[in-house]
Amino acid sequence: MHVLLCEDDDLIASGISAGLTAQGLTVDRVASASAARALLQAAQFDVMVLDLGLPDEDGLKLLRRLRQQGETLPVLILTARDAITDRVDGLQAGADDYLLKPFDLRELAARLHTLLRRAAGRVVNVIEHGPLRYDPSSCEASLGGQPVDLSRREQALLQALLNNPGRVLTSEQLKDCVYGFNDEVESNALNVHIHHLRRKLGNSIVETVRGLGYRLGPAQAPQETAS
Amino acid sequence: MSLRVRLSLILGSAFVIIWALAAAWMLRDLRQQMMFSLDQRLVASARMVAGLIDQLPQPLTAKGQEAHFSADQLSVPDGMACQVSSLRGEILASNHKHDGSMDDQRSGFQDQTIDGASWRTFTYTRGDVRITTADRHMEREALNRSILLAASAPVLMALLGSLGLLWVGLGKGLEPLKRMCDALRRRRADSVEPMQVAGMPSELQPLLETQNQLFLRIAQTLERERRLTDDAAHELRSPLTAIKTHLQVARMTDGNVREQALEHAEQGADRLHRTLEQLLMLARVEGSLSFDDGVRCSAEQVALQAIQDAGGGDNRRIALRLPTEAAKVYLGMPAPLAVAALRNLLDNALRHTAGDDPVELEVHMTQGQVGFLVRDHGPGIPEEDLQHLTERFWRSRQSGGCGLGLAIVQAIVQRCAGNLRFESSSDGLRVWLQVPSRASVQQP
Repeated sequence: MHVLLCEDDDLIASGISAGLTAQGLTVDRVASASAARALLQAAQFDVMVLDLGLPDEDGLKLLRRLRQQGETLPVLILTARDAITDRVDGLQAGADDYLLKPFDLRELAARLHTLLRRAAGRVVNVIEHGPLRYDPSSCEASLGGQPVDLSRREQALLQALLNNPGRVLTSEQLKDCVYGFNDEVESNALNVHIHHLRRKLGNSIVETVRGLGYRLGPAQAPQETAS
Repeated sequence: MSLRVRLSLILGSAFVIIWALAAAWMLRDLRQQMMFSLDQRLVASARMVAGLIDQLPQPLTAKGQEAHFSADQLSVPDGMACQVSSLRGEILASNHKHDGSMDDQRSGFQDQTIDGASWRTFTYTRGDVRITTADRHMEREALNRSILLAASAPVLMALLGSLGLLWVGLGKGLEPLKRMCDALRRRRADSVEPMQVAGMPSELQPLLETQNQLFLRIAQTLERERRLTDDAAHELRSPLTAIKTHLQVARMTDGNVREQALEHAEQGADRLHRTLEQLLMLARVEGSLSFDDGVRCSAEQVALQAIQDAGGGDNRRIALRLPTEAAKVYLGMPAPLAVAALRNLLDNALRHTAGDDPVELEVHMTQGQVGFLVRDHGPGIPEEDLQHLTERFWRSRQSGGCGLGLAIVQAIVQRCAGNLRFESSSDGLRVWLQVPSRASVQQP
């Protein structure tokens, strides 16, 4: 999951970033509303964590303007202000969830997963796809009951595909899901991860749509692949 | 008791008393006129009877016979008695049948009792006869009563009518008060919205306006308090969040990441510590706690101490310009407060001066005052922000402070009757801190 973290307090931002990364999320950090806007245009994000007290513009204003521009990205607001009007204003401005500082990192991650799940139209956390089961919050995958060990990048890749069943994703979109904006990406890195995923979950799990990109294909039980 | 009932009672009582007095006066006059008229009737009747007797062909004689005249013949009004007697006392004629006769020895009006009834009599002597006419007092009173009754009924009606009108009129007149009262009653207890009551009379308008201004001021105060609490929550929660988050990261990770997380947590704790210290300082300065430790402190000592405390020990960038007499001028305020104020100013200056540029501190002595000038070479402060500088939790965008430093300085200045002034230009900010000095003591 690719998270855009918009927080001006350096100390807090580094903590959230490190904590979410440790829980398997990809985090890009910005410290101002203008930087957030620029990054949102440059890359694809799954969810945004927004602090309200930004130096150049009020977080609520940023959120309102994004919603006016038709941005549907799920947004979780982080703030230390706990007046009810603040919360109501935040939700009315287009936020999807609200977390009060100080918070628990696991709760933040769980809420982000929930936001993503709802955005994908699912009600339970675990994604089932044929014999494949994947739990985005614990990053555990199993195929036909057998646990499958996936690297962090592979998890992100799988989740991006599972969240968009039937849709063709360009390699740029997939890269955005897997890598942070500042990560060094080698040209064939994505292909390597797709290759690993196919090896672990069956060849057909990632279908190549020639000239366009990739699409989620059927998962196959391990014994079938073995035969 | 409502204003309406109260006014109605007071005005109503006054009405009743005045009307009663007027009515009593009127009724007394009426009675007198009435009695006078009845007396005149007795006189007129007696004269008329006398005229009739004059015209008789032969004089009246008393022969022990029944009276020659009946009442009809004497043609006196109903209910009136008439008696004609000779000067010797013989009754020549009477229209009244009773055992006793009227005493007619004296001329003029008399009140006498005959056969147990009281009469009003008039005796008139003409030639050789005496004519006495009489009215029963009872009849006179009955007549009087009926006239009084007829006269008092309209008075009573008028009184009742005016009392009723008074009640209704007061109700109408007090309507604006009632509307205001209703508007107040409808308000929620915690509402600070201005009141809208239409059609207020000019006497109540100022009250309403004052009330609304008060509501406005309360609303502003509440809003300011709410914002302050909110800001305080923000300033305390942010470092706490940093600490908590980094501790959690430290638990999730290991190696380098963990070390860094712990270091960050420590930085957060330092920040929280600073914020708490500043908050406590502000509370102490604004409260009534005494800072006076009895130690006199010269301007020089204060400047040196503040420099030593400033910048977390990094004070090499502070250039001090100190006149020699500064050692002999003592401040008229507790030393800890003076040092705290000056240190906060120096901290700010250091924070806003980039790199190794110096921060200057000059001490000036004037009559009864010690002035500290702190000058930095930072970017300065926009004109419109100068007024916000001493607000609690206000801070400029670049500032890393918690927004309390200058608020504390302002509070100290207010407490110690000093003065704080800012001058901003493109080459930095000048802050003048003036505090009262104690009468300088010459050291031996």
